[in-house]
Amino acid sequence: MKEKNHDHKKCISIFKRLSGYIDGELDEKTYEEMQIHIKECIKCEVCLETLRRTVDLCRNMKMQGVPDRLRERLKLMIYDPSNL
Amino acid sequence: MQKIPERKKIIDEDTELINAINSGQKSLFYDLVKKYEQKLYNFGLKVCGETRDAEDMVQETFLNVYRYLADFRSESKFKNWLYRIAASVCIKKRRKSKFAPQKEISLEDFIPENKDNIPDSLPSWASKPLEKVLNDELSKNIRKAILLLPEKYRVVLVLRDIEGFDTEETAQILNIKPSSVKVRLHRARLFLKEKLKDYFSA
Repeated sequence: MKEKNHDHKKCISIFKRLSGYIDGELDEKTYEEMQIHIKECIKCEVCLETLRRTVDLCRNMKMQGVPDRLRERLKLMIYDPSNL
Repeated sequence: MQKIPERKKIIDEDTELINAINSGQKSLFYDLVKKYEQKLYNFGLKVCGETRDAEDMVQETFLNVYRYLADFRSESKFKNWLYRIAASVCIKKRRKSKFAPQKEISLEDFIPENKDNIPDSLPSWASKPLEKVLNDELSKNIRKAILLLPEKYRVVLVLRDIEGFDTEETAQILNIKPSSVKVRLHRARLFLKEKLKDYFSA
């Protein structure tokens, strides 16, 4: 924390809303209050940025290829009317 | 007698193809399969866990889509309807297996008891460029961590943070309230963040 008399309760209330902050789902007043606090509080910044990175990692994971045997099953299902 | 207003139809990137299939061009159904098979398979891998279950889920989902496509009323995007079917097939499969316990994740478990437990600087995994951090091994570990989440949190995280649906769409797909999506998503992300922290500090 940068300031000496830091309010840990405030950090906890911020912690509970971090996903809403990342997703832009908070009202303007709450968002601005959080933004001011996070600028001043390195620990809240660490919590925010590690959570943001967690989300970014999920969003950027490569997809796995479809196994050939599944492709074959799907083709068979579509082209053989008795399967439908 | 008062007329019930018709719900607004949603026209999306799949509307033309679906209309063509529904008007008799059944062979075009394969185009729909080709477009979504990889996405659905990856969704299944993350939600069902087992390769075989994911494959069965994809087949069952397309089978249901084929059977009920004529009843699709375009009241939501086709993709959302497709995932609604897929999620429901996954959930049914999971209920039959003993893979993950259905427990609640408490927010309190993640709240640091005192501020000294939080570092004073950003760890390198969160500060380095994303492409330097995200390799195959990490992806494998993220997939493993996702599977440790209880199902109701896992499916929300996968829909929101991997498949890219917004809160409202996720709520519609799972037939739950948007507020429940938000609560589950935050807890799932915190759970995953802790797993990543453990992975990078090991």
